[in-house]
Amino acid sequence: MNTHTIDTGAPVISADAYDTTAFFAEPDAIATVANTTAPDAVALPSPDASTAELLAAAQEAGRRAVPAPFAETALVARPLLCRVGLPVPEGPLSYAVAPELTVHYARPAASGVGSAGCSGEDDTLLVTGTLRRVPWARAASAVVVLASAPSGPVLFTLTPDRAVLTPGGNLAEEPRDDLHLAALEIPASHVRRISPELLDEARLRAALARSALIAGAAERCVELTVAHTGARTQFGRPLSRFQAVKQEEARLIEEAALVRAAVQAAAAPLDTGGPAAHFTVAAAKTQASASAAEIARIAHQLHGAIGITRLSPLHLATTRLWSWRDEDGDETSWARSLARTLTPAGLWPALTATP
Amino acid sequence: MSPSTSMLSPIAFPDVALPESARRLRAEVRAFLDEERGRGTVLGRPDSWLAGWDPGFSRRLAERGWVGMALPAEYGGAGRGFLERYVVIEELLAAGAPVSAHWVSDRQAGPSVLQHGTEEQRRFFLPRIAAGQCFFSIGMSEKSSGSDLASVRTRAERTADGWRLTGTKMWTGGAHVNDYAIVLARTDDAEDRHAGLSQFIVDLRAPGVRVEPIRLMSGEHRFNAFHLEGVDVPDGMLLGRRGDGWKQVTGELAFERSGPERYLSTFPLLVSLLREFGQRPATAEQLTRVGILTARLHGIRRLSLGVAAALDAGDAPDTQAALVKDLGTRLEGTLVDTVRSVLPTPADPHATPGSHAELLAFALLHSPGYTLRGGTNEILRGIITRGLEQH
Repeated sequence: MNTHTIDTGAPVISADAYDTTAFFAEPDAIATVANTTAPDAVALPSPDASTAELLAAAQEAGRRAVPAPFAETALVARPLLCRVGLPVPEGPLSYAVAPELTVHYARPAASGVGSAGCSGEDDTLLVTGTLRRVPWARAASAVVVLASAPSGPVLFTLTPDRAVLTPGGNLAEEPRDDLHLAALEIPASHVRRISPELLDEARLRAALARSALIAGAAERCVELTVAHTGARTQFGRPLSRFQAVKQEEARLIEEAALVRAAVQAAAAPLDTGGPAAHFTVAAAKTQASASAAEIARIAHQLHGAIGITRLSPLHLATTRLWSWRDEDGDETSWARSLARTLTPAGLWPALTATP
Repeated sequence: MSPSTSMLSPIAFPDVALPESARRLRAEVRAFLDEERGRGTVLGRPDSWLAGWDPGFSRRLAERGWVGMALPAEYGGAGRGFLERYVVIEELLAAGAPVSAHWVSDRQAGPSVLQHGTEEQRRFFLPRIAAGQCFFSIGMSEKSSGSDLASVRTRAERTADGWRLTGTKMWTGGAHVNDYAIVLARTDDAEDRHAGLSQFIVDLRAPGVRVEPIRLMSGEHRFNAFHLEGVDVPDGMLLGRRGDGWKQVTGELAFERSGPERYLSTFPLLVSLLREFGQRPATAEQLTRVGILTARLHGIRRLSLGVAAALDAGDAPDTQAALVKDLGTRLEGTLVDTVRSVLPTPADPHATPGSHAELLAFALLHSPGYTLRGGTNEILRGIITRGLEQH
């Protein structure tokens, strides 16, 4: 029987219909979207989970198209807050790396060494500017912001309701909201001065979290495609029996495996930091972003017409791939950052620094 | 939540952690390579496992214990694991060192004799292999047997005290310079075409062996037509059991398909490109393309190491090996194309040896072979999809 006769009475799988309320009801369990094929909830790992465990969980969230800032919370916001000793708020969190914000000390120090205003009586800040396309800002209980103060880099937390929010979304209709701050006062208790290294780490964490999500969506593309080509028959045999289909399907499987390996390779280096962290994370995001096009292309081509409709869940994975590859640095910027450090004598040692 | 529920689990790759001994080993190999660079033997050439023939280098490598290093000590090996061997060969290939003389002995003949050979064969061949004094070729393909290896026509007829082999093997690398070849021949007619095949160790200097050069399109002499014109092979040179040839040959494929030689064949050309950037600093666009290439290399190496770890653990990761080979050998070709377009350079085989233009010409002329040797990639992709569907 041809299992893919188009049933126009089937429930429409819509990216608009996400119900994020489950996330708020149960902060440590993120319910997945009801109409994917994997209905069980993804638990938010405990804060002391290893980076490798967090990455595996983020990948699973990507695979299930979880409608919540799972990776953003677990891999970026929470670890950064722990790092600087700020309390970790309950519920979903988000982040913004925003060196372009205008940041002043609310109570500039009257005297002292250096130019006026380079420090304050305390670390209370006045912040002006726009945080662009913050993931899930409307649903986040707090946003971790990394910015440049007159004294150097700072990290502060912000509850989104203190800003003016302009809603936006990516290709998968995941919220990407702008937050407008107009001389907003951030109390000193929410501010920490940080090292430039932590600013770098934040970028790496965000990029690797996004790469793990991409790896998950890539895996979903493989699953859906293998299932489809095995079930759909044309000319009296399953699509998977056609040589031309096998050739494409194998490339899809390979590309997904490659992304997953690249993400795994960065887990341990992220914890130890240094040049190996930069190299492996830059390589992971470069590969994940660069592979997204081929993965989505093959998955759609092998799905045929059903794949470009909301009758199939494929779009939940492919629209995410097309969005996530650009977020937290696309392959062009990360590849450049990766290559900038390479020398003829240093290339091979860099490739073999880990494991 | 558990990754084991994934549909991709048949192609799961174990995570890799190299032992501390591997780190020391890598440093030792790098020091050795520096010494050899001083001698002028290590020249950073592409495809050095096919084209870099230097028995003296092989012997010095063997003196360090780095040929046949996974063979047990009682047979002259170093008794080290696959992962340690992996570290050594990836260092050699990245440096473009001339490793082709001992390549087949180290990768296939040694492990194969160890696994399938008689005690007598082990005692004779393995110490010589590990000493870098016994070089092997592989006689599998024939004129009408490429991807479809079970169709081989070379026959072994029973004689009073052994076998008489008749037929012609094609693309037999190094048969004109090596000592022995492992030959796949039909010993029995069987309804099942995978049955009735056996492997033999053939002395390349035996009467009846005729080796005829097949020149590569570059003009190099690496391959041969290897004619067996009634070659007498004693009973003691049957490798493994009569009729088990197919099983023995296919059992080795994961080793052959997933190693660093499946993604590093053109790596020295990328190093050469970076050297050129030393003369004229790279633009942002050039950096981007180098970065994309480097990221891909890094990911593929990781997958390849995963296969080595699985082999080390005693698994048979055939699907994963096919996957690595397709990804890796395609990258080898992409690297050549990318280097060419990132820094436009007319490929010139007559330019100074080792110059960028000459290395580019060399890698380019070898490039169609990368996705053919060791199993055509189109066939391997069938293995990959089958691996997932059987799940």
